[in-house]
Amino acid sequence: MAHVVLKDLVKTYGSFKAVNEVSLTVNDGEFVALVGPSGCGKTTTLNLIAGLIPITSGDIVIGDQVVNDLDPKDRDIAMVFQNYALYPQKSVYMNLAFPLQMRRLPKAEIDKKVREAARVLDMTQLLERKPRELSGGQQQRVALGRALVRDPAVFLMDEPLSNLDAKLRVQMRSEIKRFHQDLKATIVYVTHDQLEAVTMADRMAVMNGGYLQQYDSPAQVFAHPANMFVASFVGSPAMSLIPLEASTANGDTVLKSAEGWSLGLSQLNARKAQRATGRKVVLGARHSTIKLHKSAVPGAIPAKAYTVEPTGDVTFVQALLSGAIVNISVSPNIAVKPDEQIWLEFDQERMHLFDGETEMALEAA
Amino acid sequence: MSTIAETSRRGQAHRRMRIDGWRWGGRIFLVFMLLYTALPMAWMLITSIKSGFAAMQFPPQWWPDQPTLASYQKLLDPQNSVGQDFLRFFWNSLYVSAATTVLSVIVAVPAAYAFSRFTFPGRNFLFFTVLLRNMFPAVIFLVPLFILMRAIGLVNTHGSLVLTYLTFGLPLAIWLLKGFYDNIPVQLEQAARIDGATRFQAFILIVMPLSTPGIIATAIYSFIGAWNEYIYAYTFLSKNEQLTLPVGIQRFFSENTTDFPGLMAASFMMSVPVVVLFLVLQRYFVRALTEGAVKH
Repeated sequence: MAHVVLKDLVKTYGSFKAVNEVSLTVNDGEFVALVGPSGCGKTTTLNLIAGLIPITSGDIVIGDQVVNDLDPKDRDIAMVFQNYALYPQKSVYMNLAFPLQMRRLPKAEIDKKVREAARVLDMTQLLERKPRELSGGQQQRVALGRALVRDPAVFLMDEPLSNLDAKLRVQMRSEIKRFHQDLKATIVYVTHDQLEAVTMADRMAVMNGGYLQQYDSPAQVFAHPANMFVASFVGSPAMSLIPLEASTANGDTVLKSAEGWSLGLSQLNARKAQRATGRKVVLGARHSTIKLHKSAVPGAIPAKAYTVEPTGDVTFVQALLSGAIVNISVSPNIAVKPDEQIWLEFDQERMHLFDGETEMALEAA
Repeated sequence: MSTIAETSRRGQAHRRMRIDGWRWGGRIFLVFMLLYTALPMAWMLITSIKSGFAAMQFPPQWWPDQPTLASYQKLLDPQNSVGQDFLRFFWNSLYVSAATTVLSVIVAVPAAYAFSRFTFPGRNFLFFTVLLRNMFPAVIFLVPLFILMRAIGLVNTHGSLVLTYLTFGLPLAIWLLKGFYDNIPVQLEQAARIDGATRFQAFILIVMPLSTPGIIATAIYSFIGAWNEYIYAYTFLSKNEQLTLPVGIQRFFSENTTDFPGLMAASFMMSVPVVVLFLVLQRYFVRALTEGAVKH
């Protein structure tokens, strides 16, 4: 196993910058998820690490070797593809053996390793089958096996679960996580599903528009999103973002709405908002940090319920506030009707303030 | 109530009849097509086992009174001059067709792969110029190509035919194969390259085997085209010992009185390699032509 370092990695296609000065370090044995919406550059980044496309500038280090100009075969990596890319004309056994044959291992050793990998992944009875005779989950497992059999320095995975149905996806998610724990493997995992990243990765790199937005543990990304994009991308339902204005009077900073109400702030939040006095400030709040009241309470903001979505465990209420839609989760035994007058109380400890112009999180001075 | 049931039943019967009408129309059409293609071949076969005299009789003998394989014996006997010529023409045709086929596959496979996988300056332009030749009937190029062949000293060589057949066969071969490569996911090669193969190895070990049906179809197409071609062979070659079968048969048998059983026997033997090739490999051919029509 080895660590991976990306230094100012750039990939351009003509004038289009697919990957823009991305720098990050994946530690030895770490599971890192590259996550972002489609077209954000995450798969391009993975292909750059694999060497399947040439880099425009920057450096890629695997282990202690700069691999910028090395062929994929010389980078000591293994990759699992979204469509599995199993060789259709070869049996499962030959699929697993192929990477070893390419490395000219003796036949007996190949046989031993293939059978060992098949045993680990519980597919010994499938060895003679062709890929088209396997279910999606089994194909997925063969793809993992082909990566595993070679004992590479780094595993690269390109949306390996997105072709599976929902139930199997959850099951394979825990299998891959287990696989990582057992092997202490270095894994770079690309996904567009923030839930996969949050549940599986040690650290997640959130990308958008070719730029690395934030690189931190899922808990940190969730609790302290660096900017509005990360805030709205990570977490489901998405964080509500309410455009307001910071105003300071008599040394007291509040957030004013165009609708006429204003929201008092805790000391810490006031210090953050002060840095943007007179400018637009966006208030971010996750559904679980907003309290819904059916009558006026000091500090709560009046709003109107818009839609109500019971899901069984919790009921999601959407309310219109200052032109934005706000998600609130409430206990299912609180009955709210659309168009009903409600009051919303924000948790000062867990609210987020963003600069309305730069979209970056505001820090206390 | 009963009226409604009756009407609907009558409606069903009516519908069934219409479908059957189409089906029967189709069957009749197919039978007609079968007769249209099979009868001349049957007549060719029957005539080839008649004696020279029986072949000229009118009304014709539908089945020869005294079937004989004499024509075949004559053609396949290297001792007499007819047999010598026929076997030489057969060999010439085989040689030219095989050379055309092998070269066409050797050129078409990498060309199609390049068109499918790489972007390079002039890619689209080149791809359509490849097809440009097919916009004109082949005869148009007869005189220019003859002049060209004379200029480079290839007249009266088999090389001139191989070159010509390649220019006619390659465009479709490249198109056909490109469709094949387009349908092979690029991730397979990427996986192979990560698994330790070079780009070339990935092509040879993974992509080539998957495109076998396309390669076989291309080969059949080139072979049949070259095997049957007449007008260029007739124009470019004048020496008797160089002639290919289509030209040789015609020349050889119409010089004096036409030996129809001999002509038919030669024609039959000429069609054998094509029919055998096609029967053995037809499933690849059909697969190649329909591949890509439906997304998998």
